[in-house]
Amino acid sequence: MNQLDLSKKTRIGESVIQTLLFIAGFLSIFITVAIVYELGKEAWLFFGNPDVTFAKFFGTTTWQPSIGQFGILPLVTSTLITSFIAIFVSLPLGLAVALFLSEYASPKARSALKPVLEILAGIPTVVYGYFALLFMTPLLQKIFGEQTVEVYNMASAGIVMGIMILPLISSMSEDALSAVPRALREGAYAMGATKFETSIQVVLPAALSGIGAALIIGISRAVGETMIVAIAAGSGPNFTFNPFKAAETMTGHIARISGGDLSYNSIDYTSLFAIALMLFLVTLVLNLISQTVINRFRQRYE
Amino acid sequence: MIKSVRSLMFMLMALSLLLAACGAPSAPVEPTAKPEPVVVESTAVAPAANPLAMYAPDAVTGDVTTAGSSTVFPLSERMAELFQQEGYTGNVTVDSIGTGAGFERFCKTGETDISNASRKIKDAELANCKALATPREPISFRVGTDALTIVVSAENNFVTALTKEQLGKIFTAQYTKWNQVDPSFPAETILVYGPGADSGTFDYFNEVVVAPLYPDAAGKADIVAGKAALLGAAGAQFSEDDNVLVQGVEGSKYAIGYFGFAYFNENKGKLKSVAVEGVEPSQATVDDGTYPISRPLFLYSDAKIMQEKPQVAAFIYFYLNNVDKEIVDVGYFPAPDADLKASMDAWKIAVGK
Repeated sequence: MNQLDLSKKTRIGESVIQTLLFIAGFLSIFITVAIVYELGKEAWLFFGNPDVTFAKFFGTTTWQPSIGQFGILPLVTSTLITSFIAIFVSLPLGLAVALFLSEYASPKARSALKPVLEILAGIPTVVYGYFALLFMTPLLQKIFGEQTVEVYNMASAGIVMGIMILPLISSMSEDALSAVPRALREGAYAMGATKFETSIQVVLPAALSGIGAALIIGISRAVGETMIVAIAAGSGPNFTFNPFKAAETMTGHIARISGGDLSYNSIDYTSLFAIALMLFLVTLVLNLISQTVINRFRQRYE
Repeated sequence: MIKSVRSLMFMLMALSLLLAACGAPSAPVEPTAKPEPVVVESTAVAPAANPLAMYAPDAVTGDVTTAGSSTVFPLSERMAELFQQEGYTGNVTVDSIGTGAGFERFCKTGETDISNASRKIKDAELANCKALATPREPISFRVGTDALTIVVSAENNFVTALTKEQLGKIFTAQYTKWNQVDPSFPAETILVYGPGADSGTFDYFNEVVVAPLYPDAAGKADIVAGKAALLGAAGAQFSEDDNVLVQGVEGSKYAIGYFGFAYFNENKGKLKSVAVEGVEPSQATVDDGTYPISRPLFLYSDAKIMQEKPQVAAFIYFYLNNVDKEIVDVGYFPAPDADLKASMDAWKIAVGK
């Protein structure tokens, strides 16, 4: 008897498309690896310099490579503080907007509110930066007094960054909330829960993984934001936890220094790559932390 | 109902765009000088018009790339504008990146035709120029004088005059509170704003005010130690963009900063200048030399560039002939006549006339 060939019949067209799609998927990994390689190459030169030690890099609190001070802490704390303020502003507001849009809004209100959010998302970050400098800072100075709030400060940059991230978080959260099956809501109503109780105690936890994804993207966006902090947060590294003081972030510092001119092998040049690598690592760590926390919650409710 | 909400949104968006367009600031500053004929008789060449007619603004084509000092920037921008008004068809780009950065582009990468500088070129930079693939020999053209101005906010009602030593200690954070400078001043933290290390203003301030406070073993002012002290001042904000510094100083009663006189002049309403060693910066004190921190402003170019690109030579020629008419309006002070004449002679030698 002839052997029955049960293997899949190869279709050339299908194989070609399969390969192309695989390459597209692989491309993202390749680009990430290439970026890390480029950053690492130059950062390696930076750390190879005899003046630079890990103790200095992570331990000291002044950053001025041209005079031999290599403490990255002031830049990192400024980035973390501005990002934290941004998330603190955008997460509750974004969730509130998302809840309103998915649970409470009438179709009329939805159709009015969604375009406005799109506009907010489309505003260029440089405009946000000047908004922070020329509107938010005087407002903060009026509230907290001119002596406590400096002209360039982390708080106004952080708050405006929060406004910038708001549409991102609200639209992704709203998608997650809308995806929760109606059965869950109706079950809660059947048990006598009010609309608010249902939204907060049933729908929100069920959508937590989607909201977590929104949070991760929001954090990455906030950490990587350059223009707003370059204009409004300050132009000198400063190790402080007071959000009303001027302190330059990692991204703002890279933008300011590369705006001038640096010779290719100077320590200033390679230090920029070290900062960029540090930025990459900070984003990576924050992503990993968020993912573990989200996964832990996921197990409880599903 | 839905339709009216939508149309209301559209109307609001259109209205906001319209308001933004109407409220936008008016067109760039119009020059005050009337257009002048460019070909000016020079004292050396008798039949003046003909050999120099090729350097008239409308006779040259091609672009001119300049970069460097943020102090010289407003002056070069003004001269570029006038040059184009006289019929020049190309583009003059002026980048404000700091004197040091300007020399990097001129001498290390050879990208620019003219370097703007608020200090003389350093030996290291000269060496870089010689080491280029096509070596460059920078020629300096003195174009004006700047009075480096120490500024505080107009709301500051306690500081009127400071000595060089007090300034040095303020900007290197040896004094952190105003009452350390003078017991009668309030006990508030001094907010320091200054240019960064790429700036010629920074170099000059270091050389004249800060380095003398750090004498080396031989008793001479130590430039490197001064630079380290300035850059290491805790909490100081640095920027090569003087407008950032202006914003910073304007924003607080306890802020202090320094930059070229033109930036102070433009913001006279919100800023106050501080007298140095008892002398306020002004035309009179700069001319007679009593203002202790005035410095020359230069353009640097190379003879070969000027000969290969006549538009560069034409721009410099126009600059030297017309700078005195514009410089006071821009906010600086004219260079001594002898220096301007020397610059013109250097130009003639460079183009081979």
